Order: sequence, then C-alpha cells, then structure tokens
Amino acid sequence: MPTRLSIMSFAHLHADFYATAIGALADVELAGVWDDNAQRGEEAAAKYGTQFFATPEELFAPENEIRGTIVTSANIDHKRNVLAACEAGVDILCEKPISTNVEDARAMIDACEQAGVQLMISFPCRYTPAFSQLLEAVRNDELGEIVAIKGTNRGQNPRGWFNDPSLSGGGSVIDHTVHVVDLMRVLLGQEVVKVFAEIDTVFDPDLPCDDAGILSMNFEGGCVATLDASWSRPDNYPIWGDVTMELVGTKGNASVDLFVEHVDAWRAADSTFLWESYGHDANAGLIADFARCVETGAPVPITGYDGLKAMEVALGAYRAADLNDPVGLPLP
Amino acid sequence: MLSVAICGAGGLGTRHAENFRAIPETQVTLVYDVVEDAAAALAEKVGARVATEEGELFGDDVDVLVVTTPTPLHSYYTLKAAEAEKHVLCEKPMCRTLEQGEAMLEAVLDSGITFMVGHVLRWFPQYARANALITAGEIGEVGVARTSRINTMPAGSGNWFQDYALSGGCTLDMTIHDFDWLLWTFGPAERVYSVGAQRQMPPLDYGLTTIRFESGAIAHAEGSWADTGAFRTSFDVAGSDGLLRHDSTQMSTLTIQRRAGEEGRAAVQVPASPAAKSPYMMEDEHFVQCIITGEEPTVTVDEALDAVDLALAALRSNEAGGEVVELS
Repeated sequence: MPTRLSIMSFAHLHADFYATAIGALADVELAGVWDDNAQRGEEAAAKYGTQFFATPEELFAPENEIRGTIVTSANIDHKRNVLAACEAGVDILCEKPISTNVEDARAMIDACEQAGVQLMISFPCRYTPAFSQLLEAVRNDELGEIVAIKGTNRGQNPRGWFNDPSLSGGGSVIDHTVHVVDLMRVLLGQEVVKVFAEIDTVFDPDLPCDDAGILSMNFEGGCVATLDASWSRPDNYPIWGDVTMELVGTKGNASVDLFVEHVDAWRAADSTFLWESYGHDANAGLIADFARCVETGAPVPITGYDGLKAMEVALGAYRAADLNDPVGLPLP
Repeated sequence: MLSVAICGAGGLGTRHAENFRAIPETQVTLVYDVVEDAAAALAEKVGARVATEEGELFGDDVDVLVVTTPTPLHSYYTLKAAEAEKHVLCEKPMCRTLEQGEAMLEAVLDSGITFMVGHVLRWFPQYARANALITAGEIGEVGVARTSRINTMPAGSGNWFQDYALSGGCTLDMTIHDFDWLLWTFGPAERVYSVGAQRQMPPLDYGLTTIRFESGAIAHAEGSWADTGAFRTSFDVAGSDGLLRHDSTQMSTLTIQRRAGEEGRAAVQVPASPAAKSPYMMEDEHFVQCIITGEEPTVTVDEALDAVDLALAALRSNEAGGEVVELS
C-alpha cells in the first residue's frame, strides 16, 4: 500500500510543487486535500486527482488512512493546522517559516512531541546535489575553518498574503531569511549568536511590509555571515530569484548558486527572456524523504527545532533593525 | 610642459609614470623610491632620472608629484608637496587616519594646488554607465546595491598590504573603490555595519560591509583578499523600477589561450576587455586638464576623505565584533 499523504491548504504556491512531487513518486499517494478556501481546495483536488475534504476532521477520518500531511497555508495558520494534524496523530511537513513568533513555534514543537508525531520543516535547499557535495567537502575539512559566508536569497515579490504581515508575520525578511540560515547552520553546526539588519520597504513603497533586508550575523564559533533577504528581483527577471553562498575558509573557498542551471530562452511571442531551469528538483527529494520518514518512522532530518532556530534569526533581524543595534540570540 | 615626479615605484607608480610619459602636456622627470633598484628600473623605463634623495621631489624643476607610496605616507608627501606648491595625484586611499586626511585637506585648500585621489573606478566605463543610469532615475529609487571586489592577497613591497596598521586591509585599501562609487552615486552615508575575517597564516582578509545611505538605499560591499583565482568585480543594483548588473567574469571581449610548452612558456589564459583608452589614462588626463584649467577635479578632496571616513567606520564596526557606527 502506498504512503498516503495529504495537503492542508493551497495558500502557498509550494503546495503545487509538493503535489506534483507526490504524483511523481511511485509509492506515495495524495490521499486528500483540505483548504479553508473551499473553491481553491476543490480545484486543487480535481487537478491532482484526489478528494477534497471540508474540514481537517473529515480529512483525517480513520477510513482515509492518512499517515502524513503537508501544511502549506499562510504562515499565521501553520500553528492551527499543525495542531489539528497533531491531534489526528499524523506526521507533518510544515512549510517554512515554522511560524511567525517563538511562542507558536514552541507550542507546535511541544504538541508534536507529546502526541508522538513527527514535525519536519520544509527546507528543500538541503536536497540539492550542490549543497550535499558542499556539505561533504566541509565535513572532509577541504575548506579548513570557515571564517565567513556571504549568502543571498533574493527574489521577486510573491505578492498576495506574503505582503500582509497579519498573515505572513513580516515581509521579505521573514520569507527569505530562513532557507539560507538553515543551510549555514547545517554547514557550520553552529547557531547564530548575534544579528544586525538593515530592513526597509523600498522597491514598492506602498507595501504594508518590508521588501528589502541585509542581515549580518555572528555564529557561536566566530564565523561571520551576511544574507540578502530582499524581494529585489524585478517582475521581468528571467527566474524567480536565487539562493547563493560564498564560503571563505582557511584552506579554501567555495561558492554555490543552487538554481543557476538553466538554458537562456528568448520567446518572441511575448518578447520575454527566461531562464529555462533544468537543475535538480529539490522538492522531489524533500517529499521523498518526508514520505520515507512517515513510512518507516525514521526521525525526520529537519526538525521543528531547526525551523525555530532559523525563524529566530529573522525575528532577531527585525528587532535589530527597529533598535538600530545588533541583537543577541537566542531571543529571551 | 609639466614636469612629473613619481614617489613610489611600485605597480601603480609604474602605471601612472607610463601614462604621464604618453600624455603630451607632461613628462616624467624624476622617480623616487626607498627601494633604489625599483626607482632605477622605472626611471630607465620612462626616461627619467632617479632622485637620490627625497628633497629633490620638491625642487624647482618639479610641477607635479605622484604619490604612490604605502598608504600611511600619503599625508607626509602631500603636505610637503603642498608646501612647495606642487600639484599632487595621490593614490587611494587618501590617508590611513582621519587626522592625516584633515591635515591634507587643510594643506590643499591653503596652497591652492590641484589635488586628486585616484578613485579610478569613476573612469571604468561600466561603473560610469551605472552611475549615469542610476542618477538619471532609470531604475527608480534604489533599494539594495551590492558590490563585490575579489582578489588574492596582494604582495606589495615588503608585504605591506598584509600589515593592517599600514594598509587597513582590503576594506580600506580596496573596498574603498566601491565605497567611493557608492557615495558618488547615492550621496552621504548615514551608518555602517561590518563583519569580516582576518587570518595571518595563511594570510587572508575578508570584509562584508552594510551601509545605509541618507537616501534610504542599503548597500552591501564585499571585499576579499582571500581568493585564489583571477581578480574580479561585480555589482547588482536593484531599484523600484529596475535592476542593473555587471559581472567582470562575463565581460571578456577578448580571450587569448596559449598552448603550453612552446618556447618554455606556461599555459596561461589572458582574458581582457581591451579599451581604446584605459581608465587609468582617462583619470590621469583628467587630472592634467584640471591643472591646466584650474578646475576642481571630479574626485574632490572632501569626497576622497568621505570614502576614507566610511572605510574606517567599517573597520571600527568590524573590530568591535559588529556594532552600528553612525557617520556624521
């Protein structure tokens, strides 16, 4: 019998990526969809050949035999949906950021622990071959001590609820800090102990949230890092954005540009220039690994704690920008 | 005809000497260096005389002094030149400390000499074009401007670049090019925050500096003397109405590959973007025209000092382990 997964909410664009990834896996099945927007949920269910359920309770009814669920709602609803899945005893893959504040994240982690369900956070960049090889090189000490990292996660403004802080918890900084901070944490095996940030709303001055942010970080072992977490790519940019890191080590340097693989494409019909990506599909690896953990009970490789520590850096960045002074982590 | 004396016969002294030799209104007459062999080699190359003592630089037969010494000596030679009413082309950074810079500023204003600091980036066509596009409003309000300047640890006479007390590391010596370009393009800086890494052995120096400008723009300047490959630069400037990007590794109009073995030469690649006139030549010609017309150079003394102020603030932020440094 295939591993039966479900998706809670198609509010986040990534839900489509995950549904597609599930469809491509032979031993995994999308067994149901719930969405508080019934029309959106019904359309998604039809598109991916599965059933729509009007409530989480119906979705997780015993006869559906759902073993794991993917939470891809607006950030503010992560907690509610994770707790619903937790109550049903279903393992969870939660979209990043884990939540919009430390208290909610802790409540989610504690509830899952008590219920004995696994909580995994969606950091698909870990599943790119380039990052895996970089991690191997770092663990083999090929770079020596890593003394500095320059990171970027720049993108186009995703619009919609991402621009409403009451739903997202912020703007570009909460959206784009956590992926690269997670990669840095894995590479260094260390936590950020101090963060400063310049944050502002500059590309679209009418936005009710930030769209530009540069973070500076100190890791506990002395490594320093910066991260550009801006929606600075214009709407006619040839790809959604980037995830890059430049590492400086005492024995050598390394750089990764995770989504650079593409064919230049000029389309005459609508006068556009696009990057036709051919790189590895990180979402496929993420979903396959989540399904493996659901099926076998193996511990998930990306925990709620990882999600909390990455989000905490974004929250610290907001505080530092407000105070115009660096902020110590963890937050009190 | 303006008579030019070169003070410091290293890499940039050589480049300026060759330029002033080629510019019709100037001739190089004197070369001075504490390393006498270096002075002799350059003097022979450009048909000049070796100054056996420093005092000759300020003699009646010298009109212009080119100061291409290690940074801490810039103020010493500039003050002497101003006193002797010699015009000065001084390499960047203008000075090692703000006190030195303020003394230089006062001496330049009092003497009325033409004084310019070699912020040559302003004559690099890609940086000049980006500045023109941004200041014309082509990409709207700028939100995030990123610059990178990446090199191996430079050697220099007696490895002076590796001595922080002398060079100020890559942030003062090299990233200052981008600081000047950013200040030129976005106006005054409000505050700076910098993190970096320095190691003595093997030597590396790396700095990541975030600058907030009074205009609201945020800049991130990377400076590296920790690379192992060829020198490269890039910028990425994002505004409300568009994006400008340049990457030197993508812009070679000519690449020559030589096959190994032939006449014992190593296999090397020489990528280049040949220009009709080098940015250094345009810079030196501008300086000469300013002397002749009496106009103020496009890199003003105040601007050169502002760039040092910003670089030193970045160093202070970094040395403090990360703190916000406000600029007056």
